[in-house]
Amino acid sequence: MSPCQDSTILETRYVTRQVSKNGHILKTVDNVSFVFKRGGVYNIVGPSGAGKSSLLRLLNRLDEPIEGEVLFYDKPLVLYPPTHLRKKVAMLFQTPYLFPGTVRDNLAYCCELRSEEIARSNLIRVGLKSDFIDMDAESLSVGEKQRVAMARSLMLEPEVLLLDEPTSALDPASSKKIEELILSLSADLCLTVIIVTHNPEQALNLGGETLLLVKGQLIEAGETSKLMTEPETELGRKYINKELT
Amino acid sequence: MIQTGYFQVLMAALLAGLAFVLARWKTIPVEKEIGFGTVRSFVQLIAVGYALEFIFGSDSLWLVVLAVAVMLLVGAYTAGQRAEHFKNGFSIALVAMTTGSLVTLGLMLALKIISIEARYIIPLTGMIISNTMNATAIAFNRIGSDLKSNRLAVETGLSLGKSWKEASRNYYREAVKAGMISILNFMKTAGIVALPGAMTGMILAGTSPLTAVLIQLIVAYMLLCSVTIGAIIAAEMSIRRFFNSAEQFIG
Repeated sequence: MSPCQDSTILETRYVTRQVSKNGHILKTVDNVSFVFKRGGVYNIVGPSGAGKSSLLRLLNRLDEPIEGEVLFYDKPLVLYPPTHLRKKVAMLFQTPYLFPGTVRDNLAYCCELRSEEIARSNLIRVGLKSDFIDMDAESLSVGEKQRVAMARSLMLEPEVLLLDEPTSALDPASSKKIEELILSLSADLCLTVIIVTHNPEQALNLGGETLLLVKGQLIEAGETSKLMTEPETELGRKYINKELT
Repeated sequence: MIQTGYFQVLMAALLAGLAFVLARWKTIPVEKEIGFGTVRSFVQLIAVGYALEFIFGSDSLWLVVLAVAVMLLVGAYTAGQRAEHFKNGFSIALVAMTTGSLVTLGLMLALKIISIEARYIIPLTGMIISNTMNATAIAFNRIGSDLKSNRLAVETGLSLGKSWKEASRNYYREAVKAGMISILNFMKTAGIVALPGAMTGMILAGTSPLTAVLIQLIVAYMLLCSVTIGAIIAAEMSIRRFFNSAEQFIG
């Protein structure tokens, strides 16, 4: 456990999110309550359509729950200006999107370039050379784009980083590097990392705690090493045996 | 000046007949449209001609206002149909087109470019409304398709703490530009690629080319003003429909 992991930073209380699909109302997140501690690493796992990304989007208020509430430092998200909240609870998507221009332009996007030095040090932190800063964003590989997107989020100096399957488009070697990066960010910056992954092995590599969602419901949560090897529920056992589709 | 009467129009209809024959010969499936369009344009324009004769002769300001209101409503309805990705297209188009048209017309009256006479107001307002309607419809279409296809870019901006306005600014600008592109192209090429229709009409009706050019310039600047106002209002009001007060993309 990280030394900074002592206080609650985010909490979901009985949150439910529903969407209308083909004329039907579908609960994508169903009555989920969970407490995220500062500096922790949390994996959200589950079969396709379990509501993993939907839950993540509620945490920085990209979407609104229809019931329940999400709290950041014990205060409901609705009490924070969304633009302020999203700088503290940053999010990276499955497919990294870089704005047209150079890497420097992207690093300056969120908050004007406070200093060239900070931008370069964030590039180094995510495992890129500092002279990447002058490169055209379009010319980068997907893995490099994901790292630049991560460096761009770090420019916000967030307290929570939400990652929606950030390695799904990467090869195993690049995925491994991103996993190491996530762990170092959590340890060095006391950053709370909440990551959606469809890969149980990745959850085991990242450790921390894991939440298993099935059909929008939180089935089981706990220490990753335990949940991924000795789940307490029948659905948990089915998940690790890959019987849930 | 050329002689103009129903005989000349009937002769001109032979040109439409030639188009019909060509389309039929080459089996291009537009014969119905050509036939219907030829008859419809004749009926509509003759009806409008009689209506304008009546309005110009009556000297009633209320009839002018009524004619402008009808043009605005029909134009807004037409532009509103292009709002496929959001609701209230009609009301947004009505606000954008009314503002663009009335501000432009008001300025032209205030600057003494035209006087309050039906023969000036009705044809000029018709041109203004028609062009602003096109600009509004194009802006609507562009906003909807750009935001839908760039959801990731918009949400990336929002996730980096940008407001909806900042996150969608480029799409707003592109929509306004798209709405204006027709009048901008027209101004670039006017007189070089082709003589504008209104100017050609005036020259055919016997006006001196220089006078026709001066009037055409007034028309071009007038349309630029109304189209710009209309496209800006249409884009601003429609883009707002894709976001809520919590800076969430709801499109």
